[in-house]
Amino acid sequence: MRVLLFAHLKDATSAAELEIKISDDLDADGFWRALLAAQPALAKFRPTTRLARNGEYADAQTRFSDADEVALIPPVSGG
Amino acid sequence: MQIEIQITPQRIAETISPLLAGVGALAEFSGIVRAEEAGRAIAALEYEAYSPMAEQVMREIIAEIGSRHPCLCVRVTHRIGIVPVGETAIQLLVTARHRVEAFAMLTEFMDRLKQDVPIWKRRALSGDEFDALKKS
Repeated sequence: MRVLLFAHLKDATSAAELEIKISDDLDADGFWRALLAAQPALAKFRPTTRLARNGEYADAQTRFSDADEVALIPPVSGG
Repeated sequence: MQIEIQITPQRIAETISPLLAGVGALAEFSGIVRAEEAGRAIAALEYEAYSPMAEQVMREIIAEIGSRHPCLCVRVTHRIGIVPVGETAIQLLVTARHRVEAFAMLTEFMDRLKQDVPIWKRRALSGDEFDALKKS
């Protein structure tokens, strides 16, 4: 799974994208567990970070699979 | 409704508004980089976008607002990369039959942009940092 990072999340991981391997379809909680096992430095950002799956904001029903591109969206500040 | 979106590292120039048949109102907003950020003097801001998603989310927002406030054309240009103080970071042009819809689109879109569109002010550059960047 390709995971995209933006803004200060890039600084926390020193990476604009990550590859993590997941074996099953996961809900958001499962995705975060898999991500934080690989990148524990992101834990403190979880409460303020939204997930987007393949370019669309995830909701409570969204499932994540290994073929997905998932973006971590910290609070936005455009304009 | 016609929607035009551009996310670009290029300087935003003055544009000619799209005048379609029936236009009775044109509202324009430009967001300019201020010389101060969080109480300190700055020389530039750096913007970053998740561009494909940002464009899609903007289109959805405009369509949703347009369903309540029908407009004829909405054109959004958002700059990314380094934007010096005094230059335009975002430009929004709205045409509609009447001013009420145009103003509603303009203000509601800007509010939603700041909640949902994946664009970030990456960092604020001081004068020294901006000068060093220009020399590099």
